[in-house]
Amino acid sequence: MKKIIVVCAFLFACTYAMAQDANAIVGVWEPGNGKARVKIDNIDGKFYGRIVWLKEPNDPKTGKPKTDVNNSDASMKNVPLRGYRMLKDFQYKGKGVWEDGTIYDPESGNTYTSVITMKDANTLDIRGYVGVKTFGRSDTWRKLKVN
Amino acid sequence: MKIKLVLSTFALFFAILIPGFTQVGEEEENWDMYDDLALVDDAKVKRYAKPTIVGMSPTRFLSLSYDRQLPYIMKLSATRFPASGNSGWGVEEEAPVSSTGDVTFTGGLRFNSNIPVISKASLVWQTGLNYLRTGYSITAPAGQTKLPVFANALNERGLNNLSWANTVFVPVSEQNFLIFQGSLDLSGDYDWSLQPLQTIRWSLAAIYGKRVSETKRWGVGLARTYRVGNLNYVPVILYDVTSPNRKWGTEILFPARAHGRYNFSKNSLLLFGYELEGQSYRMDALSKGNNSYEIRRGELRPRLELQKQLSGPLWFNIQAGYRIDYSFDVDELPEGREFFRGFFGEQPFGMRNTLHDALYFNIGISFVTL
Repeated sequence: MKKIIVVCAFLFACTYAMAQDANAIVGVWEPGNGKARVKIDNIDGKFYGRIVWLKEPNDPKTGKPKTDVNNSDASMKNVPLRGYRMLKDFQYKGKGVWEDGTIYDPESGNTYTSVITMKDANTLDIRGYVGVKTFGRSDTWRKLKVN
Repeated sequence: MKIKLVLSTFALFFAILIPGFTQVGEEEENWDMYDDLALVDDAKVKRYAKPTIVGMSPTRFLSLSYDRQLPYIMKLSATRFPASGNSGWGVEEEAPVSSTGDVTFTGGLRFNSNIPVISKASLVWQTGLNYLRTGYSITAPAGQTKLPVFANALNERGLNNLSWANTVFVPVSEQNFLIFQGSLDLSGDYDWSLQPLQTIRWSLAAIYGKRVSETKRWGVGLARTYRVGNLNYVPVILYDVTSPNRKWGTEILFPARAHGRYNFSKNSLLLFGYELEGQSYRMDALSKGNNSYEIRRGELRPRLELQKQLSGPLWFNIQAGYRIDYSFDVDELPEGREFFRGFFGEQPFGMRNTLHDALYFNIGISFVTL
């Protein structure tokens, strides 16, 4: 019986450690260009990121909050950018890597396949690509302190 | 008792696990709480200019195309040897037409690669091997019994260009950047045995630029180039802009190419403008000793180009335009060493040739990124 308990404890400890690693990405992050802040959450075991802050929240021409005007889907053009889910469906694969997700670039209106790699506790390497990972481009995101 | 112990162990671990898997809902956010956040790591953050602006035609990583010119007439002077024979055609001299050829075929396959080695915010380095084949089919017109050695060599061997090109984009701040482009070219009528490596020619361009906004960037620089056949040093102007509605734009790297752009959608666009194309090609049959007899081939190509997405990163392009002869003259380079004639030099030519202008088309597929 002791053996069973030890095995169970070991398995749960591993699972717990894995969950803690996976959630290391949860928090508020700033992309390399500093124009936005993105809050990453764990929803049903997948990771999503929403824009929670914009350096320039309003459209200078209209004075109204910026919307997703560059989206090729006309039905999305009026969706506010603040609150927009730009990271979707990332799954933790272990060793500080989240894959199988997409990243949306509101400035170009393009969506890229993406891989997130945790460089250290406060730095993410986010690589977006079309088709082949080698042909992508990386950006460095930094973690923000949330009070 | 043991069962209770097992159950309580499970309960304990679940209790610990659950917070780790907490799901965050879509409750209304208090956006103000994100206004005054500081970086956890308070090291100074450096921002970098992006290597493109929005709306531009996709970057081609790999492309394969077929290029063909429609029939035209080639007029050739007599062959002279300024280096080995001590006689050539003076720069101001009118060289009479010695022979004429009806060119019924000019074209071939082109392969280009442009692979990112480093692609991050602080540095982009792309490298690639390129191959450009130009085959010829030339016949003597009625009344002319045979073709000269020069035209026969083109017929039998055609022209090849192998190049290794590198582009490095160095952002120095959030707006300012440097671009360095360099290539090594081996051009000639060679086969699998290639040709002496002293005939490798190098080109280089350096540009300082400013990315004014997401839709505009400009730059100025200097280039050492073979775009018009001969070695030349020219100023470079970069000017890329996209209109506010993202339909119209320019993609200009003057003087190498300048295009206007109309984006039908994210998946298709039209370019209209021109490109200068050229290299210095060694002709083995006419190269004596270590000297290199080289065609200074330079073409101006005003054109229209339609680019359209096929599927995912696979794009199709078709191009049609006019091939205007800028230079098809020939130099004899002593020991294969390059010289600079520029616009004012007086080094004599080996041949003075003329190609009548011709329509051309190019069709290809590419693996791109947006």
